[in-house]
Amino acid sequence: MEKYFDVTYIAESVPLLLPFLKVTFLVAGLSVLFGTLLGFILAAMKTGNSKIAKKIAYGYTTILRCTPSIVLLFLTYYGIPSIAGNFGINLNDVDKIVFVVITFSLQFAAAMSEVIRTAYESIDKGQFEAAVSVGLSNAQAYRRIIFPQAFVVALPNFGNSLLELMKEGALAYTIGLIDIMGKAELIIGANYNTHALEIYLALAVVYWILSIVIEQLFLKLEKMFSKGKQVIKTT
Amino acid sequence: MSEGLNYQFLVDTFFVALSGVPIALLITIVALLIALPLGFLLALTRINRIPVLNRFAQIYVSFVRGTPVIIQIFIIYSSVPLLLASIFEKYNINMNVYDVNPIWYAFIVFSLNTTAILIEVFRSALSTVSKGQLEAAYSVGLTNVQAFRRIIIPQTLVVALPNICTATVNLIKATSLGYAMSLQEITLRAKVAANVGYNYVEAYIDIFLVYLILCSLVEYIFKLYEKRLRRYKAVNA
Repeated sequence: MEKYFDVTYIAESVPLLLPFLKVTFLVAGLSVLFGTLLGFILAAMKTGNSKIAKKIAYGYTTILRCTPSIVLLFLTYYGIPSIAGNFGINLNDVDKIVFVVITFSLQFAAAMSEVIRTAYESIDKGQFEAAVSVGLSNAQAYRRIIFPQAFVVALPNFGNSLLELMKEGALAYTIGLIDIMGKAELIIGANYNTHALEIYLALAVVYWILSIVIEQLFLKLEKMFSKGKQVIKTT
Repeated sequence: MSEGLNYQFLVDTFFVALSGVPIALLITIVALLIALPLGFLLALTRINRIPVLNRFAQIYVSFVRGTPVIIQIFIIYSSVPLLLASIFEKYNINMNVYDVNPIWYAFIVFSLNTTAILIEVFRSALSTVSKGQLEAAYSVGLTNVQAFRRIIIPQTLVVALPNICTATVNLIKATSLGYAMSLQEITLRAKVAANVGYNYVEAYIDIFLVYLILCSLVEYIFKLYEKRLRRYKAVNA
């Protein structure tokens, strides 16, 4: 009788999986790029003066936080082509990765808007006033005084959101994107659905190592960027 | 797909999706009931640095937080039946593994997952309660259990509640992945209904609405409970 569990499958599948990390990274990278841009806009709306903009931005965050990524993924995958179809645009040939990136950008933006907002609000207002009073322009004050400080505060939360994004990204296989998870499904299919457990374990190990590396990287970055920070002692 | 939305289907499927809510809630509640005490105890072992358990909890949390939920589901869903089959074979239990209701696997996966999240939540919450509180409780003659039940836990809970709320919402969202275990919850029911006429857009709008309502309700309940718990908290003026 054939063995149910064969460790050699784990070792054999890892080299097959690793090339597809490229796709996973591509999705994560693009989503971070667009998500952060959108997050900046949302954070600006939240901290701004307009009441309507505030409502919209907070509503957006709440809705996105309450939606499972898989539902959002399918909603964009089926919804956008059908909306575009109403205007006579055919989007059925667009690559799947576009929809995946749209989905996770939307989701990442919701998380980032909160990260950016809290980081921005953690910086004392006096900092900006002091910068302006020594003759810096508004843009200079933001670029040289506010941003470097807010960046350090935002870094750990940014790292957490990035990890979350990487993990949620595994769901892209459900619409047929061949990233590392999709490749694992293909390998299992090629094995006639046997030894699925070993492949999933290999996949889990790859993700685990990846997240530990990213976590350590962000700890290092945080240490690097906070070296200029001086703790003010209030006595 | 250019004929627009099928509104009749949209309304009908909304109730189909709604009928999956009890299962999603059942999984959430069972997972929380198992994970809350387990997470609290393991958080205590982390704080008190109990040799083996501390290390175990650390690796466990790192693994669960470092891998996607869907992979955890697949691992449990493909390993537990193998284990069960060998156990049934060994003890001559006449039972087919494939007859086991998938909801049992869902309980296992989501309890394990939530436990790991809650360990971290309780760990950070426990560290906000100062050590003097416990010492003061001992000095007035409370036993260990009494001190925790009356002094430490109420204070920890206030701090931990917002994070427990987030964990619960994430858990409800994660139950949407139960379709991978052919679990009859919100997502799968609406999806099956959509398969007949390819009305996927309508089905996903329904699922989206159901989760939105469910999660908003849960957040609202937690807010109310937090307010109730905060009654006794003295504010430092």
